[in-house]
Amino acid sequence: MNKSHAKFGRSWWPAHILVWGYAVLLAVPLYYFVASSFKSNDAIFGSPLAPPTSFGLDNFTTAFRTAGLGTAVVNSALVTVVALALTLGLAVPAAFALARSEGRAASVIEKVFSLGFLIPRFAALFPTFLLAAAAGLFHTRTFMVLLLPATALPLSVVILVQFMRTIPKEMEEAARMDGASTFAVLRHIYTPMCLPGIATVLLLNFLSFWNEYLYSLVLIGPDPDLRTIQVALPTLKSVTGTDYGVLTAGTVLTLVPVWIVYTMLQKRMQTALVSGAVKM
Amino acid sequence: MTITTPRPAATTGRAPSPVKPGSSRKGGRGSTILALPALVWYLLFMVGPMVAIFVIAALHWPGMLQPVSFAGLDNFRTVFADPAFWAAVRNTAVQLVIALPVMIVCAYMIGYYVAQRPPGHRVIRYLLFVPGLISTPAKAMVFYAALSPDGLLNGALSGLGLDSLTDAWLASPSTALYCLIAMDIWAGIGFTAVLFAARLSSVPEDLGEAAQLDGAGHWRTMWRIHFPVVRDYVGVVTMLQLLWTLFGSAQHVLLLTQGGPGTSSTTLSFLVYQKAFIEADLGYSQAVGVILFLSGLVGLLTVRRVFRASH
Repeated sequence: MNKSHAKFGRSWWPAHILVWGYAVLLAVPLYYFVASSFKSNDAIFGSPLAPPTSFGLDNFTTAFRTAGLGTAVVNSALVTVVALALTLGLAVPAAFALARSEGRAASVIEKVFSLGFLIPRFAALFPTFLLAAAAGLFHTRTFMVLLLPATALPLSVVILVQFMRTIPKEMEEAARMDGASTFAVLRHIYTPMCLPGIATVLLLNFLSFWNEYLYSLVLIGPDPDLRTIQVALPTLKSVTGTDYGVLTAGTVLTLVPVWIVYTMLQKRMQTALVSGAVKM
Repeated sequence: MTITTPRPAATTGRAPSPVKPGSSRKGGRGSTILALPALVWYLLFMVGPMVAIFVIAALHWPGMLQPVSFAGLDNFRTVFADPAFWAAVRNTAVQLVIALPVMIVCAYMIGYYVAQRPPGHRVIRYLLFVPGLISTPAKAMVFYAALSPDGLLNGALSGLGLDSLTDAWLASPSTALYCLIAMDIWAGIGFTAVLFAARLSSVPEDLGEAAQLDGAGHWRTMWRIHFPVVRDYVGVVTMLQLLWTLFGSAQHVLLLTQGGPGTSSTTLSFLVYQKAFIEADLGYSQAVGVILFLSGLVGLLTVRRVFRASH
């Protein structure tokens, strides 16, 4: 304790003030959004930072009705879950093959995936739109479900390969002696043993799929029956002549799933984000 | 690009080679085929569209249903003669020149602070992740609520009796671009700081303590002792932020200012979007896409040079 007092002595005051200042800049908007989502427009302008006096859900129900946020949440959940399943379905076998193989082909394929971090996703929006149109899947959720795993593959494969390389080959050899097939080795040895890697991949991709905006806007489009929550959210700005209570309630709604996952799995999510970012 | 990464917890590197290399290689070759679906998927949805940018940039294509013809370098001539393009270049340059250094320097200092584990560092760490978790539309809503004419900032200014300073921040040609830059910085610092904190906490503690025994202050320890150790890592993170800022700004612009008023907040990546989906000038749009891609590449090499320079 003594040591820590000496360490953070008077010379640290400017640092404390600056860092906590930034922390306040991060916390205040969050607080403002949560507080405002329970208030009327008058209360928001009258006393923007006062806590709400009641916790009625009027703004949330209005957000659900006027902007159809309910459908949008379902669409987002659907796209996210199916795309996550597909990502794992593609990435786990690929990582399995690449981690065990010592052939030339495998190392070339691994290179191709790791170069994928250099491809800027945003730049290819228009050609991707052409692809969707050519496939007859423009303005469908299906195309988004097919596209998202492709964007996630480089990171997912690289992370999973790293995990699978730590599994001793002797385990596979022992299983082979007992007559296990390649598929059985994947299913009963590799998959269970790299569950932490799979969890990391799921968390990272959950975040990026749930939060995806520009591609969903262009490829799925603004149809209220199909659009995702991120596409629906900005429409609250104009639909309601900006009723701030409804706007903030809608924003809070989009954050709830992410916040629940983050709070439950804080440690794992932090490691996942840190390891994920730097591989890109 | 070589990247040093803090590996996932249990990683210990490659397992020792098997007793019988022959048999394992056989098994390996047989299963490489399992990587094919992922590879095909990736080539079809990612690499294909990327290559198509370069092809479309060489086409004359004035609208989705219009006839297409080969244009060679005509699109690039049109682009270079267009004042809107040069406005976008200027805006993107301003954005990068302000946002990147501010973001990286602030994030490095905050990362250093958190890595020293001062009282309350857990709370700070929790909050620093926030911008990394929320979606672009949600961030845009935060800034819209803060900066719209009847938003938080104007409310605070008139509350302080400074009505003369209030402005329609997002709709004024002199401030719109800076609002976008503010958003880049606000959102960028947090997550970048977390990355730096993670890297800095693996720097041996006695390194800093030794320097402090010699009478070096924290300012000196931070920049003279720790910075050289993590310099390469800072370089990699700067490259990432460069790419995110360069390519990601299209969504911010679309959500907050639509590039206006006029072209005052049009960035290069928004120009790509605008020409393709609003003005349907497809060859032009993808020509800018090619330019954007190449400037990203040049940017990466420049950052690399800067961080290698005094090695």
